[in-house]
Amino acid sequence: MHRLYIVPTMIINIVIVAIPALLTIVLAFYNWDGISTPTFAGLDNFRALAADRVFWTSLGNNLIWTLLFLTVPILMGLLAASMLLIVRRGSNLFQVVYFIPVVIATAITARVWQGMIYSPVTGVFGILQKYGMPIPNPLTQPHLALFGVATVDLWHWWGFLCVIFFAALRQVPQEQIEAARLEGATYFQMMRYVLLPGIWPTITLMMIMTVIWSFLAFDFVYIMTQGGPAFSSELMSTLAYRKAFYDLNVGQAAAAALVISFFGLVGTYFYVRIQTREGEQ
Amino acid sequence: MQRRTVLKAGLGLASLPLLSRFGYAADQKPVSFWYESATPENQEALQKLLVEGFNAAHPDQLLSIDVRGSDLDKQLRVAMLSGTGPDVVFTAGPSYVAAMAQAGQLLPLDDYAQKLGWNERVLPLFLDLGRYNGKLYALAKTYETLGLFYNKTLFAANNWKAPTTIAELEALADEMKSKGIVPFAAGNADWRPANEWHFSIAMNAIAGPENVYKALTGAIPWTDPAFIAVVDKLAEWWDKGYYGDNYFSLTLEQSFAQLATGQAGMGPTGTWSFTNVPTYFPQNNAEPGFAGFPSASGDPIFPLGIGSTLSVNAQSANADGAAAVLDYMFSDRFYSEMNSVWQGEWNLPLADLSQVKLADSVLPLYTESMKQLASAVGAGNYGYTTWTFLPPATNTYLVSGLEEVWLKKTSTTDFLKKLDETFRQEKDAGKVPAVPPRA
Repeated sequence: MHRLYIVPTMIINIVIVAIPALLTIVLAFYNWDGISTPTFAGLDNFRALAADRVFWTSLGNNLIWTLLFLTVPILMGLLAASMLLIVRRGSNLFQVVYFIPVVIATAITARVWQGMIYSPVTGVFGILQKYGMPIPNPLTQPHLALFGVATVDLWHWWGFLCVIFFAALRQVPQEQIEAARLEGATYFQMMRYVLLPGIWPTITLMMIMTVIWSFLAFDFVYIMTQGGPAFSSELMSTLAYRKAFYDLNVGQAAAAALVISFFGLVGTYFYVRIQTREGEQ
Repeated sequence: MQRRTVLKAGLGLASLPLLSRFGYAADQKPVSFWYESATPENQEALQKLLVEGFNAAHPDQLLSIDVRGSDLDKQLRVAMLSGTGPDVVFTAGPSYVAAMAQAGQLLPLDDYAQKLGWNERVLPLFLDLGRYNGKLYALAKTYETLGLFYNKTLFAANNWKAPTTIAELEALADEMKSKGIVPFAAGNADWRPANEWHFSIAMNAIAGPENVYKALTGAIPWTDPAFIAVVDKLAEWWDKGYYGDNYFSLTLEQSFAQLATGQAGMGPTGTWSFTNVPTYFPQNNAEPGFAGFPSASGDPIFPLGIGSTLSVNAQSANADGAAAVLDYMFSDRFYSEMNSVWQGEWNLPLADLSQVKLADSVLPLYTESMKQLASAVGAGNYGYTTWTFLPPATNTYLVSGLEEVWLKKTSTTDFLKKLDETFRQEKDAGKVPAVPPRA
């Protein structure tokens, strides 16, 4: 009888996850414009993607994006969280301040940065230009566009990691911290020998999730540059979207989605392995 | 007891979507129409002029409009695929019609055209553009053209006149640059496909409509020297700074505002920009001008664009009602009323505009330009826009590919080679929209 309890979640998972996932896998091997009847294409979609230099640009951009998000926000989050732990005064206020960008809708954050910060006409960069500081709008420079968008996503994201790390740091046994203090540990020694080892599982989990999330990144790029200029900020997800909804080539879009899923699966494999090992311990 | 209450509440909630069905009077048949984005004022115009006007004229029908936003196209595709969707189908242009007609999702309209007199009322070219495999599937909702907006006040102050040849255009642009004025008011920050307006303008002005027609019908490739000259010229204008330093940062409206303030001199854009004239020109005490884009020969060419089309859903339970809505729109009265309050989006291709009376508040320049376009189309003297005549993947590649040329990430020949390859693949798959023979 108790097995019936899993039926609602099973139905949701089958209808919303399993069926679309299977359809995506199948469609990757078909030619389909999203309107007429699909025709079998074998590996043509994968061959076409491999021959498309934009695919390789977007894959490279996804790797750069992943590296950025594996380092910058995690370091910022750890630094701010450890400061919150050490300087308890006002930590609640700072937590709220750091967390605010996380709860602002993506579209609003993106438009604020695009129009009020980066824009040479209506933004802070425009004011700086008037005062003789010729800072270009990064979204318009092919070599900077990806970093321009990533900066906005980092600003929006790092507060989340800070709050997660702070919560984990508070679970580190107080006596270990006290002992380190009594021994005269510096900030870096405290981090190196007490705090980081104490929250290592949380950091690992966040890093694995970062890899998965980085390959799913879409919203900020789509709103701010739509992958441009000249494909310079194209990611796998925006490529798949463009193929499906602009080129009417759902087959190649599904093939690109499978590549994204592959990286997600690798991340998930490591996540499950670590979880299992922890469970055994 | 509790379980029964939950059950009743559940049934009540489940029946909510059906409630609207009971709202109709027994003798009224519902007609649904999904619309794309519209400002609150425009939504009011739709409600008053289309919904209330149509329902009053057809007491047995009940039209309702659902404004779906900029994602209409995607929502529509999913709905049509699952055999549902609205009765009146709004598509983003002929290339979508071809795919939908091919999949049997649209109803052939030939009988209605015959019965309701559309064959006489609609410009014949637009009937040809709505055909697929010889059958009529769509009527153009709005047609538009590209040209050159300019600031008449700025031109008068500098003793400039609107250029008619490419050489004149370039000489004027160089002079503007020397005076610190950006020659072209242009930007694509909010609409990246704006790049294709510039491509469309240049391909008609430099390669000429005849060559474009040959390329669209497959008689010559897109790598022909005529198109190499087009892309090279666009790259030259970019390198000379005609598009300004902020092309990728400016929105369409911001760039148009620069035209009104005199920061920029000329606006190579489409007739949809007329909607921004009242917002920016009067407050800058400037007068707008609009002319056909200069060409190699000196005669203006009006590239023809279809912004959106209207069809009837093949699965519609009330196809007669949907056709009646289309019939209502293609009337002098509706054209006059709608274009009096909302210019640029409802330029229906009526064959005879002599009975059309627009409100006094409408810019005479707009009325004049539209009449000029209608007569150019009537005489077969029109050019082509990429979004109306190119298949979808070719067109999306063009948008980013041109940026690659501008930013020196690819060469003119490589860009055109890939454009041609993509075009040929789509042509073989039957995805190229109808191209009526030239007069």
